[in-house]
Amino acid sequence: MRIRIRKKNLFYLLALLSSVIGAGVTVIDTFITIKYDINTWSLCLVVFLAGIVITFILALLLSIPVGGKPIGARIDPSFPGLRLLRKEEIPYQVVAGFGNAVATVGYFFIISIYQDPSTILSFFEVVILYLLITESIAEKNAPSMAEVESSIIVTFGAIMASFSFTGELNLEGLLIVFLVLNPAWVIFSIYQRKLKLLRINDRPNDAINIRFWNLVFTTLFTAIMVYFIDARHFFAAIAALKYWPILFLSMGTTFFSYIFYIRALGLGKASVTQAVKSSTIIFSIPFSFLLAAYLPISFYESIPQLVIKLMGIILVIMGVISFALTEVRAYIFIKAKTGHPSITLIKDIWAIKGVTAVAAVAGKYDIISKVRMRTLGKGFERIIRELEGIEGIEKFEWHSILKEWEEI
Amino acid sequence: MIKAYILVLTYVGNLNTVLEEMRKIENLESIAVVAGDYDIIVKVEVEEVEELMEVTNKIHSIKGVKRTNTQVIEKEIRE
Repeated sequence: MRIRIRKKNLFYLLALLSSVIGAGVTVIDTFITIKYDINTWSLCLVVFLAGIVITFILALLLSIPVGGKPIGARIDPSFPGLRLLRKEEIPYQVVAGFGNAVATVGYFFIISIYQDPSTILSFFEVVILYLLITESIAEKNAPSMAEVESSIIVTFGAIMASFSFTGELNLEGLLIVFLVLNPAWVIFSIYQRKLKLLRINDRPNDAINIRFWNLVFTTLFTAIMVYFIDARHFFAAIAALKYWPILFLSMGTTFFSYIFYIRALGLGKASVTQAVKSSTIIFSIPFSFLLAAYLPISFYESIPQLVIKLMGIILVIMGVISFALTEVRAYIFIKAKTGHPSITLIKDIWAIKGVTAVAAVAGKYDIISKVRMRTLGKGFERIIRELEGIEGIEKFEWHSILKEWEEI
Repeated sequence: MIKAYILVLTYVGNLNTVLEEMRKIENLESIAVVAGDYDIIVKVEVEEVEELMEVTNKIHSIKGVKRTNTQVIEKEIRE
C-alpha cells in the first residue's frame, strides 16, 4: 500500500529535507574550497563533470527493481528507472540547463573577483521576490497577499542571517547578483517546475530523471562558458577530476537535495519552495560549528553580527511558519442550464482566479470545481460573485474542505 | 484512464472510522473531509470501469457509509 499523507505536509517535509541536505552540501563545498587547490573557474566546471558521473551511478543504482518497483520509487513514486530524454522535455531542459549554467557562472564570477563575497551573495535571497513577481505575472494562480508578506519576511530574514559586516559591498557586485544570478536562477526554478508538472506516459514526471538530464545540459553550457572565459581553466577542470572522492561526495549529496527540491517544486509554488529552502541558513549552523573544529572558519565575526544573524533566523522561521497558515480550499458542485454545454462552461470557470481544478462530470452534477483562496470570506465572495456572473450556471453548492489527504 | 469523484455521506458519529478504512483503499487520488451536503469527497483514478466498480464497492462495504454518488469525469483542467 502506498503512503497517503496530506499534500501540504509532504511539501514542507520535502522542502525542509532538501534544506537540511543542502546545508550539508554547503559545508562540504566550504571544505573543498579551503582544503583543495582548485582554481575557481576549474571548480565551477569540475563539480558538474563529477556531478554527471555520480548522478548517473546513483540513478542507475536507484533503477534496480526491488519488489517490482525501482528503489528510486521510494524517493520519488513517479520514478520508472533511468530513461532517455523525451522530445517534449528538451526545450524545458535546454532553458533550465542554461539558467543553471548562467547562475553558476555568475556565482563563480563573484567569488573569483571579490576577497569576501559573502555580503554581496546574501542578496541572492531576493530571488524569492523575483519568483513571486514572475508568478504574479505569468501564472494563473498568483500568490496571495499573505504569501507576499511571508516571502518578504523570509527574504529579509535570510539576508540578515547571511549578511557579513566584513564583506565587500559595491554596485558592480550587486548588479551581477540582481541582473545575472537571480534572473538566471528564476529561469532554472520555473523550468524545473514546468518539467516536474509534465506528464510522461500519462504519469507525473520524476525528479531523478529531471535532475540527471538537467546536469547534462548544465554541464554542456557551463563547459562552453568556461572554455570561452579561459581555455586553460577548462583543461584544468578535467585534471581536477583526480579529486573525485570529495567531488562525488559533494555532488552525490547535492543530488538528494535536488530530488527533494524538485519534488517540492511539483507540489507548491516556486517562490514558496525557495522561501522554505532559505531555511538552509538555519540548518547549516550545526554543520558550521562542526566544521569550525577542523577549519579556520567562524559562525560570526562580532557580537552585533551575531545578534543580527539571530534576528534574521527568527524572521526566516516566522515567515516559513506563516506560509503554512494561509490556505483555504473548497469543492464547488455546479448544475448547468440546458443548452449550455459543460465543456464551454469549464473554460469560463477555469478563468476565475483561485480555481485550481475544474472537471466536466457525468452524474447528479455537471461540473465539479476545486478552489483555493487565502481566507474563506474574501475568496468565497470573489469566487461566488464570478460564478454568478457566468451565464449558463443554474445553481452551485459549496463544500469547504476541512482536511485532505492526497496520494503523491 | 478513468477518473471520478465519489461523494460520500456517512451516518453521524462514523466519520473517523470511515476515513480510517477509506485510507486503506488503493487507487484513491485524494480524500477530503468537507462541510456541506456530503461528508467526504473522494477522487479516484483507475484504468478500467470495472476497477471503478471495485472501488465503489469497497467504499459501500465500509461500516458507517450511508450513501455514495459517483460523478465520472469527462474532461478536466487542472494546474
